[in-house]
Amino acid sequence: MDRTPTGVIQWPSLAARDGNMRKVIGVLREMAVTWGPALALVILYTAFSIGDARFASLANLKTLASQSAIPLILATGMTYVILQGSIDLSVEGVMAVSSLSCAMLLRNSRTGFDLGVIALLVGICVGAMFGTLNGILITRLRIPSFMVTLGIWSVTSGIAMLISGGQPPEIRDMSIRGWALGETIGVPNLTLVALVCLVIGYLLQNFTRFGRYTYVIGGSEEIAKLSGVRINFYKVLGFGLCGLTAGLGGVLESARLGLGHVEIGAQQMFLTLTAVVIGGTSLSGGRGGVIQSAVGVLILTVLANGMIFIGVTPYLQKAVQGVIILVAVVAATWRFRARLRVVK
Amino acid sequence: MKKSKLFGLIAVSLFVGTVTQISNASAACDKSQIRFVNSMREISQPYHGDLDKGGRLFVQWAGLSDSQYVLQLNQGDTDKQVSLMRSLLATNPGCTIFNVEPNNLPAVRQMVEIANQTGAWIVTHWSHPDGFEPFNGNDHWIGHVGVNGLDQGESISKELVKAMGGEGGIVALQGILDNKPAQLRFAGLKKVIAANSKVTLLDQQTANWDRTQAFPIVQAWLAKYGDKIKGIWAANDDMALGAVEALRAAGLAGKIPVVGADGIPAAIEAVSKGEMVATASTDAYYQGSIGFAMGYCVLTGQVPPPKQWTNEHRDFYLRLITITKDNVNQYLKPPPASAFAGDWACDKIWSRDTGAAS
Repeated sequence: MDRTPTGVIQWPSLAARDGNMRKVIGVLREMAVTWGPALALVILYTAFSIGDARFASLANLKTLASQSAIPLILATGMTYVILQGSIDLSVEGVMAVSSLSCAMLLRNSRTGFDLGVIALLVGICVGAMFGTLNGILITRLRIPSFMVTLGIWSVTSGIAMLISGGQPPEIRDMSIRGWALGETIGVPNLTLVALVCLVIGYLLQNFTRFGRYTYVIGGSEEIAKLSGVRINFYKVLGFGLCGLTAGLGGVLESARLGLGHVEIGAQQMFLTLTAVVIGGTSLSGGRGGVIQSAVGVLILTVLANGMIFIGVTPYLQKAVQGVIILVAVVAATWRFRARLRVVK
Repeated sequence: MKKSKLFGLIAVSLFVGTVTQISNASAACDKSQIRFVNSMREISQPYHGDLDKGGRLFVQWAGLSDSQYVLQLNQGDTDKQVSLMRSLLATNPGCTIFNVEPNNLPAVRQMVEIANQTGAWIVTHWSHPDGFEPFNGNDHWIGHVGVNGLDQGESISKELVKAMGGEGGIVALQGILDNKPAQLRFAGLKKVIAANSKVTLLDQQTANWDRTQAFPIVQAWLAKYGDKIKGIWAANDDMALGAVEALRAAGLAGKIPVVGADGIPAAIEAVSKGEMVATASTDAYYQGSIGFAMGYCVLTGQVPPPKQWTNEHRDFYLRLITITKDNVNQYLKPPPASAFAGDWACDKIWSRDTGAAS
């Protein structure tokens, strides 16, 4: 009512009712957007549990927790890049370099090193370094993130290939392997790491300048710039964080599988992007968050795992997955469909 | 345009004719002039690394210079595989031997046609298009060394069933579903299951030949079937090793038998540790070198030209090696060149022929 321009004749009561209706619809819509993906997750979980009771067993809950660990870590970093309106396609390559540099420094079948935890840290740092490099190239050379990260994907895969040289190092450090495969009070250790990551991601997002500016940059880079936000700095930080999580993902996957490998991150990039988008983070930036992305990851994990339980033939699984993803994306982002047209 | 093309064709065919005549007349190249080209996908996998090592081992064994060895990697790009071949053949085609791991079936046809046109020599591996054979007038296609995927699948399945004591449920990890070796290996498993009434196939999923993808599938199976799983079958070693790691996470490594195929070093190690029961190896060292041995013997005139060989000698299935705990010790270390003397000598180049490929 307040916003009604003066001098325009209005029927107060009708306008009020209309406004209330709109408010209610608005709230409902808002709720659908916020809770849609979570609802989809609950529906999927219930449906699979009805399909096969063993799906809801404790053993499988543990399996789901373990399977979502690494995608959760990757999605946390990717969320920041996408919130800023950029994209990072180099995840798989960065994971490969991190995986190999870490594996070559742990006790392994190829080299004489045995650095233990330091090797893990080196692997993670290598990831952060390439992420930062992504950010610097994008902001300094003003090349779209799409192109830069695609290039870095190739570069990092190439370096990984060079380190590997056709002989992927098998990790022989059994204490680290044991930790990566093990669990603490019934929760897989990697899942605990993922949860810590998620919490840190959430805190960064909501309680730091970096987090708030990330939304501002994604909403409108122009406005952010005019308001005096150091866009370039926060973008480099965003890509650095994404590289760091990719590095962490590569290192942990290696520790779990006992292998440094060029293909350690195979198909992770699209999985992560899909999870982030399904969760409701907009590809054009400024909307979404790490918790939404986590819901997206869980949807994909439940889907892949559940299809094995209800016995969808492998020949059909990809198609079924595709259809469900499409439905989820349409449902989650219906309201923003005009804004989502990043690629026209 | 047409005229110049025509002239080009005539020039090329005259040139080819001359080269062919020379090579047939003398049936010889100077040893130091021969180039040995290994054409393969990439070397990020141990299998490909071993192909490369096998090729180098042969060149050293024959007392030739390392500079005569050429490695061509195509990263899975068929056009690249073909164009790499074509560009190398700008010089000295008649004394160049290609040992080829073809990217796909069309690559075989294209590369053989280039060999026929330029006078280069070629040996192919794995599979070739149906009805397109070395002995159908492809005189420069020395031979094809095929791999019988059905046999491969069958031999590891038998070992698996044996380790299970002849009964119980099996879960199977398939390769890429529309890939021929994947289908044949799985057919081998089904054949063995059909012959053992107490063995059932609980489920099959694809992990696309990949260790990372096998891991979560096996986790899900363990949650779904629990101790009904008495054996895990994988269409290759990489997936088998992913299964072993998923078992390790559940404290079951070495307790549920796992089989794979290819014979990669990590799998051989797993067999020796008792975490895998068997793997079927094509012997990458052999595959990476046998084409060179054949070509070398032809070009130095130690065997007759290929067109005088029997059809079987030009297209055969190679003998597979099933590695189990009984024989694993001899495969734990990279083989010395002497291990292949019985395959590379010119009177023994068909030592692993198990019959005509179909």
